[in-house]
Amino acid sequence: MNRRHFLAAASASAAALAAGCKGGSPSASSGKTLNIYTWADYIDEELVQRFEEENGCRLVFDTFDSNEAMYAKLKGGAGGYDVLVPSSYMVKTLSREGMLQKLDHAKLPNLSHVDPDHLKTALDAPMDHSVPYMAAPTGLAYLSDKVQAPATSWKMLDRADLKGRITLLDDMREVLGGALKTLGHSLNSTDPAQLAAAKEIAIGWKKNIAKFENEQYKTGLASGEFLLVHGYAGDIVQVMEENENIVFFVPEEGAPFSCDDLVIPAGATNVDLAHAFINFLTDPEVAAQNMEYIGYLAPNKDAWEKLSDETRSNSAIFPPAEVRAKCEPLDDLGDALALWSQTWDEVKSA
Amino acid sequence: MKRSRLPLITLLLVLGFFYLPVGYFVANSFNASAFGTTWEGFTWHWYARLWEKRELWVACQNSLVVAAWAAGTSMVLGTLSAFALHRWAKSRLQRAHRALVMTPLVVPDILMGMSLLALFVSLGAELGLATISVAHITFCLSYVALVVLARLQDFDFTLLDAARDLGAGRWTAARRVFLPLLAPGILAGGLLAFTLSIDDFVITFFVSGPGSGTLPVRVYSMMKRSRDLPVINALSTLLLALTFLIVFASQYLTNRNPSAAQKP
Repeated sequence: MNRRHFLAAASASAAALAAGCKGGSPSASSGKTLNIYTWADYIDEELVQRFEEENGCRLVFDTFDSNEAMYAKLKGGAGGYDVLVPSSYMVKTLSREGMLQKLDHAKLPNLSHVDPDHLKTALDAPMDHSVPYMAAPTGLAYLSDKVQAPATSWKMLDRADLKGRITLLDDMREVLGGALKTLGHSLNSTDPAQLAAAKEIAIGWKKNIAKFENEQYKTGLASGEFLLVHGYAGDIVQVMEENENIVFFVPEEGAPFSCDDLVIPAGATNVDLAHAFINFLTDPEVAAQNMEYIGYLAPNKDAWEKLSDETRSNSAIFPPAEVRAKCEPLDDLGDALALWSQTWDEVKSA
Repeated sequence: MKRSRLPLITLLLVLGFFYLPVGYFVANSFNASAFGTTWEGFTWHWYARLWEKRELWVACQNSLVVAAWAAGTSMVLGTLSAFALHRWAKSRLQRAHRALVMTPLVVPDILMGMSLLALFVSLGAELGLATISVAHITFCLSYVALVVLARLQDFDFTLLDAARDLGAGRWTAARRVFLPLLAPGILAGGLLAFTLSIDDFVITFFVSGPGSGTLPVRVYSMMKRSRDLPVINALSTLLLALTFLIVFASQYLTNRNPSAAQKP
């Protein structure tokens, strides 16, 4: 490579570097850029294009893999995002620490479509800082051709005939939460006596399972290695396409129904456009299309009638009303976190 | 004496250990099953999906731009650093310098990511490809310096004296004798830096800004919650094919040019 070529290459990559700093390619110089920090594959790409065309802007998506990682990064001072999509309990933490903007409801006319039943148990019911985006329960799934006489209850985890063929999520909130629900308590309970009782149930489950598992349960269930798994509805709906015998249910005692919300961080610069984006996603037609793509439940009552029959009848997304009423979102544990962690350690080491 | 079979068996085991996982994801990139539990038939579907995912390509481009900058810059700075470390090894200043060069090798990534983020934020720098590149140069430099330093320790400095003796000026001797002999070390350090930069997740996660996420950051978040997991397999397969192509091409070029092949 001679010197002239080197200089040309260096200046070309310097240009790319400079363009990257502004967060976009040079071709999108017209209009604004809205920076969104969210989970991977969490919006239908067609909707992204539609919003870009309608508003003459560009959407840039960055992705995180856990609420805690996102929090650490924002807390470290990283900014530049206009919309975040954290889970409800993290919204609570962020708003407590003053890291979120108050939403201007005048710019969000579509909030009238949000399901009031969802808001009853939501952590931010008045939608001061957040608008619910997508929700999904945790539950159990089994293979209908191999499990006799199934019951839609957490008690399935105690069945001796499935011993060694069950997995539980390796997650304190999910397992102890399920145990608390079995006892009829809130899964956000901070009562030491209730937690102690839940611990005994969880230890009983632990003796019956093959292992705690957060990833491999999907493939394990599809291949028949496991007969009963504890998992996230969104994951199970996907493996259902691989094995038609998989049946998912939300236990009748209730289960965690976690929700990811749309929020605007304190440092956002395109506040109007961020409101427009949140309003766009809350439009019933858009929400319905997004639900079909993501496979989660958008808490948007007017979107549901626009869904395909297949999605509308999916019990993983729409559990029976009486079961849904017993579900709760996972709340911030506050000072009880230490007690929970200690209880969970006792379960794991039992 | 009968030759032991142990070396052959070890070789096969090691090769299997290295390449079976690679073979597994290559095969699964053509598997119609989204979870790779069973073989559900051959498909190009994941490659088609990969083509549509513009954010993955942006991430890929980000990774390459950052790695090029990190490798290029750390090759220059690392070589200069190694030269100083070797030439004045006994001085107190260079001993402090050596400690500074070694530090990024032992500091945990998470600490480096957080502290670099704090630094960039307090400087008011806009997070993006530039901050990622600076962060990567910080740790790549150490690796290049070490590799080049090792090469310098075996370096026959009488060759430079000979060149000067035969009439080469200081600059000519450096350019025509010193650098070409050192080039394999510098290049090896640069390749190492390139790989480390392409690989890095933790530091990049903290210092990346909107739209500047690199491939590892993107892939890691996809692992957790994606409908198109095999797209990652497809992308890895393409990167693997590209790597092999580059290796073969460089070997072909080296063999065609015998004078290059004879260089140490």
